[in-house]
Amino acid sequence: MTRHDEDPMSTSDGTDETLNSARTGRPAAAPSETAANSWSSKKDKDAPRGGGSGPSMPSLGLRGTLLFLWRQLTSMQTALILLMLLAIAAVPGSLYPQRSVNPALTQQFLDENGRWGEILDKLGFFGVFSSPWFSAIYLLLFISLIGCIIPRVGVHLRQLRAKPPRTPSRLTRFTGYTRIELPGAEADAVLETAHRSLRRSRYRTVVREEQRSRSVSAERGLLRESGNLVFHIALVGVLICVAGGQLTSYRGQITVVEGQGFSNSLTQYDSFDSGAWFDPTSLPPFRFTLDDFRAEYVLEGADESRVGQPLSFEADVDVTTPGEKNEKRTLQVNKPLHVDGTSMYLLGNGYAPEVTVTDPEGTVVAEGPVVTVPSGDTGYTSQLVIKAPDARPEQTAVVGFFLPTGVIDEQGPHSIYPDLADPQLAMSVFHGDLGLDSGIPQNAYEVDVSSLDPVTNSDGEQVLIRLAPGEVYELEDGTTISFDGVLRYAAFDLAHDPFERWVLVSALAAATGLIVSLFVPRRRLWVRVSGGSADDRTDGTVVLEVAGLARSDDPALEEDVKTLAKKLSTAQDGTGRPGPAPTTGPTDDTPEGSAL
Amino acid sequence: MIDQQLAEIANLAIVVTIVLYVLALIGFAADLASTSQRRSDERLAAREKHEAQSRDQETSAEAALPATVGASGGAGAHVAGDAQASAGAAVGSEGAGGGDVAGTDGAAAASTPSATTAGAAASGSMTAQNFAFILASAATVLHIVGVALRAVATQRVPWANMYEFATTSTAVVMAAFLIFSIKRTDLRALGTFVVGPVLLTMLLAQTLWIVPAAELTPSLQNSHWIYIHIAVAILSTALSILGAVVASLQLLQARHERALMLKAEAGEQFPEHWGRFGHVLDRLPSSTALEALSFRIHSVAFVCWTFTLIFGAIWAREAWGRYWGWDPKEVWTFIIWVIYAAYLHARATGGFRGSRAAGLALAGFVAVVFNYTIVNTVINGLHSYSGL
Ligand code: HEM
Repeated sequence: MTRHDEDPMSTSDGTDETLNSARTGRPAAAPSETAANSWSSKKDKDAPRGGGSGPSMPSLGLRGTLLFLWRQLTSMQTALILLMLLAIAAVPGSLYPQRSVNPALTQQFLDENGRWGEILDKLGFFGVFSSPWFSAIYLLLFISLIGCIIPRVGVHLRQLRAKPPRTPSRLTRFTGYTRIELPGAEADAVLETAHRSLRRSRYRTVVREEQRSRSVSAERGLLRESGNLVFHIALVGVLICVAGGQLTSYRGQITVVEGQGFSNSLTQYDSFDSGAWFDPTSLPPFRFTLDDFRAEYVLEGADESRVGQPLSFEADVDVTTPGEKNEKRTLQVNKPLHVDGTSMYLLGNGYAPEVTVTDPEGTVVAEGPVVTVPSGDTGYTSQLVIKAPDARPEQTAVVGFFLPTGVIDEQGPHSIYPDLADPQLAMSVFHGDLGLDSGIPQNAYEVDVSSLDPVTNSDGEQVLIRLAPGEVYELEDGTTISFDGVLRYAAFDLAHDPFERWVLVSALAAATGLIVSLFVPRRRLWVRVSGGSADDRTDGTVVLEVAGLARSDDPALEEDVKTLAKKLSTAQDGTGRPGPAPTTGPTDDTPEGSAL
Repeated sequence: MIDQQLAEIANLAIVVTIVLYVLALIGFAADLASTSQRRSDERLAAREKHEAQSRDQETSAEAALPATVGASGGAGAHVAGDAQASAGAAVGSEGAGGGDVAGTDGAAAASTPSATTAGAAASGSMTAQNFAFILASAATVLHIVGVALRAVATQRVPWANMYEFATTSTAVVMAAFLIFSIKRTDLRALGTFVVGPVLLTMLLAQTLWIVPAAELTPSLQNSHWIYIHIAVAILSTALSILGAVVASLQLLQARHERALMLKAEAGEQFPEHWGRFGHVLDRLPSSTALEALSFRIHSVAFVCWTFTLIFGAIWAREAWGRYWGWDPKEVWTFIIWVIYAAYLHARATGGFRGSRAAGLALAGFVAVVFNYTIVNTVINGLHSYSGL
């Protein structure tokens, strides 16, 4: 500590060193600006850390080098740069289709961009948020954060127990400096009033005896640093809980047709993803039946562009959880079903036309509702695939569209409205080897027709079958297809993340810490009383000096200092007559708006 | 059901609001132009006086006067583009210009030493700034009425698509600005810089993003988070806009002050910089004061963004079964948050304070703009159901 004596921060108890930012945006910053440098508990707040570890040091040795690197890593500059890098690195994650968000789009991009796509893929641009470079940035950031927090916690704890530091010998340089002469006042009484008043305003105070005076040194707003630490620690908490969730959570998709049921086990899922530490036996054994699915759409007659837009989706389910009775529930978008250990979200829907296929020998080879895949237009034109591997003499596939409100025109078969105004099936039939025995797993909603033979009519043209509900079509070879009715299906996501509530708790803790850290002003206030009857050099006049120092953005400080000074002088008067006019020191008189 | 008639009235209110904002903008700009004009006149007068004195002393300086006048005139013309819209109005309000200054805080008064003279001359008459302020207040009230009518017509919150989001958040910006500047009259001088961007956004909304009043799509229904999350997002956006205005003025002011200081050091008696625009800047609070204001706005904005993220995550979990999925909108809100965090850090890091930190704040604002334009329109994500 080589600062000259008057610097308030170089007090002998040394605790001052730990104080938080005194950087203020105010013109009065002159004294506090210097103060900030030595007060900061934060490394590198104002300058690259300690002169001793400069890069030009000749022989650092291994230990020295590591120490140097560690200090660099935990410096504010590094944190700042890493934060900026993090922001920049996230950008491609929004510009390129991410595999984790929409694998189909990623594939499409790869197909369209050839070599360029491959290079991007190698570099991780389709999985930015799990790429090595993105991970490296945030891991470094969090290591830096932890390296930054730990010493600050120690320093702050010491700070909380320490007394406010010594009153600077010259107060004139500080914010709101006010000097009042109180002839005939009681010095000790003035000081006592000041002390009490500051304590009442929740300052930590200490009364100091000085050579020819006594002073109260008061401090408020240590909470600011506490809040800042809570904020940063909670950020680490968020990261840990997110990681915990990654390892233990699961998420799966199911499709359920009206009237059918689902019971929770791995085999029932269309797709299922889980973390490395997920335990499949932890799936809660609940069951449900989808009683009804309702959808409403904007009707004809409304504004052109909005006809067919969805208005609401509702799924009535009948849930059975172990140990509890049945419960009827309605799921909507934004209204998931929570049962112990999992939550179920309504995320999709579509049509499942009931179709019966008999082969030329008269055997029923396919029957019941077929889940169709909406192609994404407003009209719900949906793709239909029926595979009948048991058909004789040849395996049969039916491929086509289900149209809720069907039209067949030059665009081919499509649907113009999402609801069932004029439901139709438009299909072709294929015979041949479906390849189901090849051992390669197949998607139930797709079939490769290139190796199959289309059924043709006598002119050799492919037969296009068009059916309304209740109708039956018989092909020349005797295969019949009947359209028996339409059901709806709902698609649900089931997901559970045991850590998510802790993510929320940490995030809220961080937000609370942040608010405290930003809006609790940190300041010091000093009241010095000198002279009085005990001092014969001043003719019994008591001199009262009050000044403050903002340690953070604190526009109210000056006002508060002046109010305190006024209050002390009038209180002392007792008679209520206004005290002598205060003299204000040279500090902080620069008006805010003083441009040159 | 949607009340289309009421929705029409709401639209009309917004259109009238835009017209009023145009007038208010002209008023604010005229005020700036007139004060800057007055300032140049003052400077000129002072300079002439000074030079007349020196000429009395040394007759050899005779040639200096016309030369200086010429230079000063040139500087004035140099900002013509900037003040173009206001030029006509400026002439009319010339004398009335800064009457209000007399009523402002010491801050502004101190920056215009002879404001009181001008103020006295204009006392009693309506100043351009007062006119603009009243007009802007009326427009804001109408703006809020328009937004509220839209809400009543659709029977839901007025922020389900970009048009509504833009009209609502600009209403918040204006309300915040007016509330800030009721007491701190010196802030009214910033009017041009607030009404300008607001007007621009509203024009974009009115021309490009406008959509008929409609019900919510199912993905926005059944959740009170649409009130909470989006309300906070609107507040955050509004604060970001205000913060960016202040931060850019801070940057300009800092440059301006530095240039003036260098000139003063070089011995110029009446340093001039950036001509008329410089005089506008002279009128505004100092760069330190703007920096403090910018910090205050941005720290509130950062807290709001934090809650936007948290509430958004809670809603995403209710709606999609995961609290975070790196959807483009989520990515950009994350980016905004991180940039503002970097800004707050920069303010506490040596070598980054002041202008560099302000640069980060502006980078954050660029991300905000990107998030509400490109991400909504070009990039496809789960959030794009809101329609344009
Ligand atoms: C995970 C990334 C981080 C984020 C999002 C973050 C965010 C923030 C924010 C928003 C603030 C301003 C609030 C306040 O003043 O209390 C802040 C302040 C601060 N941060 Fe961080 N921080 C991060 C990492 C770090 C690291 C690695 C360090 C250590 C080098 C650090 C040290 C500080 C310090 C010392 C302050 C107080 C500055 C002041 O005096 O105003 N932070 N941080």
